[in-house]
Amino acid sequence: MAAPPVPAEAYDAPRTVANKRDKSALLRAIRMALGIESAAVRRNTQNFNRNRYREAAALPDYEALKDEARAIKEHAIGDLPDLLMTLETAIRSRGGNFYLASTAADACRYILGVCQSHGAKLVVKGKSITSEEIRLNHTLEGAGIEVAESDLAEFILQVADEQPSHNVAPAMHYSTERISALFKRKFSTSEPLETGEELTKFARGRLRQKFLNADVGFTGANLIAADTGTIMLVESEGNIRMSSLLPPVHISLAGVEKVIPAQSQMGVFLELLPLSFNGKLTSYTSFLRPPLEDPPFALAGRPRKKREFHLVLIDNGRMKMRQDPVLQESLYCIRCSACMNCCANFQTVGGHAFGGETYCGGIGGAWEAGTGTLENARFSDLCTGCSRCVNNCPVRIDIPWLNEVLRDRLNRSSAGSPLASLLGIVSFVRGDDRRASAQKVFFANYHWYAKWGTRTRGLSNRLIRHSTARRWMQSLVGVDVRREVPPFPARPLVRAARELPPLARVGKRAKVVLFPDVYTNYGLPQRGVAAIKVLRALGVDIVVSDALPEGRAALSQGMIATAKKHARHTADALLPYLDEGRDIIVIEPSALAMFRRDYRHLLADAARFELLRTRTFDPVEYIARLSAKSGRPARDLFDVARSPVGTRLFVHSHCQQKTLGCAEPTEALLREIGFDVATSSVECCGMAGSFGYKKEYYEMSMAVGDDLFAQVRAAEAPEAGGARALVASGTSCTEQLHAGLARPVLHPIELLASILKV
Amino acid sequence: MATPGNTSLVDLFAARATEAAAKVERIGRSDSDVRAAVVRATDGLSSLVVADGDFLPPSVFTALRTIPQVIPKPTDDQLASADAGITEAFAGVARSGSICVAMGPPLRSAASLLMPLHVALLPAERIVLRPRELFDASGIGAAAMQRNIIIITGPSATADMGPLVRGVHGPHRLHILLLE
Repeated sequence: MAAPPVPAEAYDAPRTVANKRDKSALLRAIRMALGIESAAVRRNTQNFNRNRYREAAALPDYEALKDEARAIKEHAIGDLPDLLMTLETAIRSRGGNFYLASTAADACRYILGVCQSHGAKLVVKGKSITSEEIRLNHTLEGAGIEVAESDLAEFILQVADEQPSHNVAPAMHYSTERISALFKRKFSTSEPLETGEELTKFARGRLRQKFLNADVGFTGANLIAADTGTIMLVESEGNIRMSSLLPPVHISLAGVEKVIPAQSQMGVFLELLPLSFNGKLTSYTSFLRPPLEDPPFALAGRPRKKREFHLVLIDNGRMKMRQDPVLQESLYCIRCSACMNCCANFQTVGGHAFGGETYCGGIGGAWEAGTGTLENARFSDLCTGCSRCVNNCPVRIDIPWLNEVLRDRLNRSSAGSPLASLLGIVSFVRGDDRRASAQKVFFANYHWYAKWGTRTRGLSNRLIRHSTARRWMQSLVGVDVRREVPPFPARPLVRAARELPPLARVGKRAKVVLFPDVYTNYGLPQRGVAAIKVLRALGVDIVVSDALPEGRAALSQGMIATAKKHARHTADALLPYLDEGRDIIVIEPSALAMFRRDYRHLLADAARFELLRTRTFDPVEYIARLSAKSGRPARDLFDVARSPVGTRLFVHSHCQQKTLGCAEPTEALLREIGFDVATSSVECCGMAGSFGYKKEYYEMSMAVGDDLFAQVRAAEAPEAGGARALVASGTSCTEQLHAGLARPVLHPIELLASILKV
Repeated sequence: MATPGNTSLVDLFAARATEAAAKVERIGRSDSDVRAAVVRATDGLSSLVVADGDFLPPSVFTALRTIPQVIPKPTDDQLASADAGITEAFAGVARSGSICVAMGPPLRSAASLLMPLHVALLPAERIVLRPRELFDASGIGAAAMQRNIIIITGPSATADMGPLVRGVHGPHRLHILLLE
C-alpha cells in the first residue's frame, strides 16, 4: 500500500526557507520543493527548455548573436559610469526624472516619495524581480498604499505571500490545482475557480479595475538604451503595457546593469532574450521613451493629469560587483532564465530550494551574494558544475565558475573543523582550503582515498560494504549509506596497462597518451584497457601517463587553490607528451572537461591551456576523427554483429560531454556502425560527481535521476521494441543508472573493444 | 525588406503569425476592400474604435469611420468597454509573425490594447525577415523607431495558471489584415 500523501502543511512555507544563510534552511527547502513543487517545476522548466532548443537550432546565426550580445554587455559594464551620465541627460531632455539609488532603502524611499507626492492610493505593478530585491511592496503597503501585482504570476505570489521561484515565470512552481485551492481559500467569489481559463478570467476581472483606477503604474525594464533613454519591456499578458500606458505616473525600476549604450543594439536582445526563455517572441515587446505623448487614461469623474515619468536605477551592490574580477561577469546577465531551465537540479526543485530571497538558479548565487551577503549565496551549493548552462547562456557567462568561486569564498569564510584539518593535512590540501567542511575536504581529495583504497583493497572493499563502517563514513564525511560505493579494482589502470600485450603493429598515423583519470584508474580501469585495445588495433601508438588528480574534485568542492595545484602538476606532466606529438585521451568526461574548459581559470599560462584544450579528446570522439581522417568508414573497423549485448542501445551522454560537443560524435559513430541508438534528453543524470553521494542531497539526486530512468523505460517499452543495453561514458552516470535500474552499464569504448574487426 | 513580388516573405509572415494564434487574412488595399474586411472581422460587435494611421492613405480611415459601430470620438470610459480596436501596423516581422504598432496618434496604443479584439492593417510590402531588422537605421522601422513602439506577436497570453490561456489583460484575439 502506498504511503498516504504528506499534507502541504507538513512542509515549511517558501518564505520561511527563502534565506539560506543557515544550511538547514536549504535542506528544508529541498524537502518542501520535492514534496509540493517539483511536478509543476519540472513540467514548466522542461517545456521552456525544449522550446528554446528547438528555436535556437533553427536560428543559423545563434552563436554569432551570442557573441554580439556578449560584446555589447562587456562594453556596457565597462563604460557604465559614463553610460549612466549619458542616460540621465537623455531622460531629462525628454522631461523624465532620473534617480540613481545607492541602496534598496534609498530606492524605496524615492519611489514612496513620488507616490506620496501624487497622493497615490493605488499602484498597479508589472512584473519586476528587482522590486522584489528591494522589498518595494513592503514599503508601499506600510505607508498605506495598495499595491496591485498585475502579472498573473506575481498576483499568485502576492496572494500566497511567496518569493519568486524563477525570474521570468515566478510562480511556475504552482500547478493549476494548487492555484485553484489557494484562490478558493483567499477569495470569496461565486465565480468558478477550477481551470486555467477560469482562474485567468477571475484574476483578469479583478485587475482590470485596478488598471483603470491606478494612480501610479510601476514596471521594471529589461534593457535601457543610454543614447535615447528607450526602455525595453518584454511580456505576454499586456499588464506591463497597461501599467506604463494608463496611469498618469509611470515609475520604472531597474538595476544599473540593464543599461546598454544604444537603442540600435536592442535588436540583438529583441531576438536573443525571448528566444533564450521560451524560444519565441512573447506577445508584447515595448520600446518606450517615456513620458508618452498619449494623454493618460481618466475614467469619468477622475482628473486628467499630466504625464510624469521616473526612471529609478539601483546600485545596491552592483558597482561593487563590477569591481569584483569574478562576480563582474554576472552583471552581463539579461535574466532570460535559460540557465535555470536547462539545469537538471533546478528542473527538479525550482528556485525556492535552488534560490535565495530574490534570485535563483545557477546565476542566482552571484546575484544574492552581490546584492546581499556571501552567506545568502549558500544555496549555490546545488550547482554541480555540470556545465549545461554554459552553452545556453546568451551572453556566455561561465556560471559554474561563478559558483565554484562562491563556494571557495564560503569555504574560506567558515571556521573549519579539526576533522577537516586532519583530512586536509593527510591528503595534502592547500592550507586555506582545509577550512571547508570535512565532507568537502573528503570529496575534493577523492584521489587520495582511491589510491589508498586500491592499495589496501582487501580491507577497503570490505569496509565500503560494512554497515557500521558506512554509518561512520556518513556521519564523518557525509557519504550517504544508501549509495553503493564502487569497489576498488585489483589493478589500477596504470598497472593493468603495463600487463597488456605490446603494440602489434606500429602505426604512423597517430600517437596519443592516455591520461588515467582518478575515476577510470581506481574505479573502472577496464574502460581504459578497452581504449588501449581499440586504439592499438587501429594502429595508434598509445602510452599511459602517470596517474594524477587533474583537479575536478577539488574544483567542484570550491577548493580553488588545491585545484590550481592539481592543474599545474597535471599540465607539467602532460605537456612533454604534446611536445612528442601525442594527443591526449581522457576517458572520464568530467576530467576531460577540465582540460577543455576549466583549466582556462586554473592555469596561469593561457598558451598552455590552449594547447591542452585543443589536443585533448574523448576516446570515441578521437576514433570518430580517426575514421573520418583516414577515410575508413567505422563499419570497416567494427562489426555490429559481434556485439555481446545486441544491437539495441540506450546511450546516456554525460553532461560535460554534451557541453563539449563530444556526445553527438559518439552517438553518430555507434549509429554508423549499425547500432539502433536511443538517447536520453535529460541534461544530467543527477549524480553529478560527488553530489549524489552526499547524504543531504541523496533524495534530490535520485529525484533528478527519475527522468533518466523513465526515459530508459520508455525506450524499452514493448511498443518501442523492448530491451536495450545501457551505455554511458561518465563514471557517475554509470553509478546512477546502476542505482536506478540495477543493470550493468557499458562505456561505448568497451562496446567498441568487443566488436573490433581489425 | 519585402518587395511587392516577395511572396515568400509574406507567406512566412502569414504562417508564423498564424502559429502565434493571430488570424491572418489577405485582402486588397482599396478603401472599400479594407472597409469590407473590417466589417467582416468585427461582425456582431457593437462598439469599435479606429485609430488614425501614418502610412496608409487617410482615405482608408475615413472609409472605416463610416462603419456604423465606430465610436467617432470615444471617451476613456468608452475605450475601456469597446469591443474592438482597429489600428495600422508600420511593419511586420516574418520570422516571428509579429506586427509593429507605433504609438503617437491618439488612440493607437489604446486601440491595440484595451479591447478584446485588435484588428491590424499591415501593408504587405512592410514586412521584414527578422526582428532585429526593425533597428536598421535605413530600414522600414527607421522613422517609427524614433517613437514609442510595440511589437505584437499574437494575442495576449499567459501560462501562469497552468495551461496556456490566450486572452489576458490585452486583446484576446488579433486579426491581421494583410494589404496586398
